[in-house]
Amino acid sequence: MPDYVHPDVLVSTEWVAGHLSDPNVRIVESDEDRALYTQGHIPGAVEIDWAVDLQCPVERDYIDRAAFEKLCAERGISNDTTVVLYGDKNNWWACYAFWVFKLYGHKDCRIMNGGRKRWELDGRPWSNERVSYPRGSYTAREQDGSIRALRDEVLKHCKAGKQLLDVRSPEEYCGERMHMPDYPNEGAVRGGHVPGALNVPWPLNCNDDGTFKSAKELEKLYVKDLKMKRRSPTIAYCRIGERSSLTWFVLTYLLGFGNVKNYDGSWLEWGNCVRVPIAKGAEPGGAKAAPAAAHA
Amino acid sequence: MTPDGRPSVNSVQHRLDAIVGEFADLDGREKLELLVDFAKGLQPLSREYEARKAAEDRRVHECQTPVFLWTEAEDGRAKLTAEVAPEAPTVKGFVAILAEAVNGRPIGDVAALSDEFLDRMGLIDILGMMRARGLRAIVARVKRGFAQCEAAGS
Repeated sequence: MPDYVHPDVLVSTEWVAGHLSDPNVRIVESDEDRALYTQGHIPGAVEIDWAVDLQCPVERDYIDRAAFEKLCAERGISNDTTVVLYGDKNNWWACYAFWVFKLYGHKDCRIMNGGRKRWELDGRPWSNERVSYPRGSYTAREQDGSIRALRDEVLKHCKAGKQLLDVRSPEEYCGERMHMPDYPNEGAVRGGHVPGALNVPWPLNCNDDGTFKSAKELEKLYVKDLKMKRRSPTIAYCRIGERSSLTWFVLTYLLGFGNVKNYDGSWLEWGNCVRVPIAKGAEPGGAKAAPAAAHA
Repeated sequence: MTPDGRPSVNSVQHRLDAIVGEFADLDGREKLELLVDFAKGLQPLSREYEARKAAEDRRVHECQTPVFLWTEAEDGRAKLTAEVAPEAPTVKGFVAILAEAVNGRPIGDVAALSDEFLDRMGLIDILGMMRARGLRAIVARVKRGFAQCEAAGS
């Protein structure tokens, strides 16, 4: 792997192919379209679905600690299991699941670089066999607040002019549209962005084959061109926190930013909040136009 | 409808009820497998529609993956033709179900199509609310398309 700061969190399709029967490794697929897993998955992989498995069915929140422990145990995952996540759409949902695993303190999580697309391009086999493993033994930690930002914290962060990153499309950022191009509007009543947020659309992190861009390219994008500071507290958001968990992964593990949080409430919450500031247009706006300079 | 209020055999509703019946008693994994089977059954576009795809704006913009739909009438009967990207088997399977329910039926019948069958199939439990919303948008789009067809008197 190129010189990422924490290269150990990425594995290649070749590595995964060599660990399909490794009892210490659990391969986990997480997709936008979950029928993809049903249609064909990496042999031996289990599925964790972002909507059905990871979301609390009642409150707008993730499943609680006990439910996460149960989910892992049922998938044959124990505390010391190496969990390798992959999926469709440049590993976007895989990164989301990775973030939730980190939220509950799982030690060894990795992403299969390139996800389903790279596995397919490499001509590796798919399986539609049902998969089950003996129950794992799992004790989760309390949620790790150091990687998750809630609304009030984002408001303070914004008012202090700290580093904020909006990873949605430029049209969503400007406020021209309130959902992704080609996606249904999922209910934000206002368009625009959190004042001070820089716009780096999430696909800029990835190559056409679904793998992450090189450390050099990512460094140029975030550090050289946008002048973002590795040590400044950073919050990333998108529409519901899925695309921004991919950016959170890139900043934290590939570029070694020290303090990045994902705001999972994201625009679906912010765009509906009463009396929170919103900036329209292509400029970050707000009191400080260059948030990176604030707490350098 | 028959005089006693039941959907007539081969009405859109009757066909949907039959499909709902196939799904209803399956567990989550089996439901997804059946959906994938439907997806596999969606016929690829004929050469004629391939050519029209390039010439006409048939992309469903509300939809997350490339979906192209034609809602047309042939002798007053509904003809739903579709192409869905292979990376979206859920949408593809769902569109195949709609095609099976409406094709060959009087276009006026399609107006009676309701998206409540999604709940009865138990798809919401296995897909979640956000994905279900996308599927409801497709039902609305298909109904709108055939309503326009009917209004145009074709």
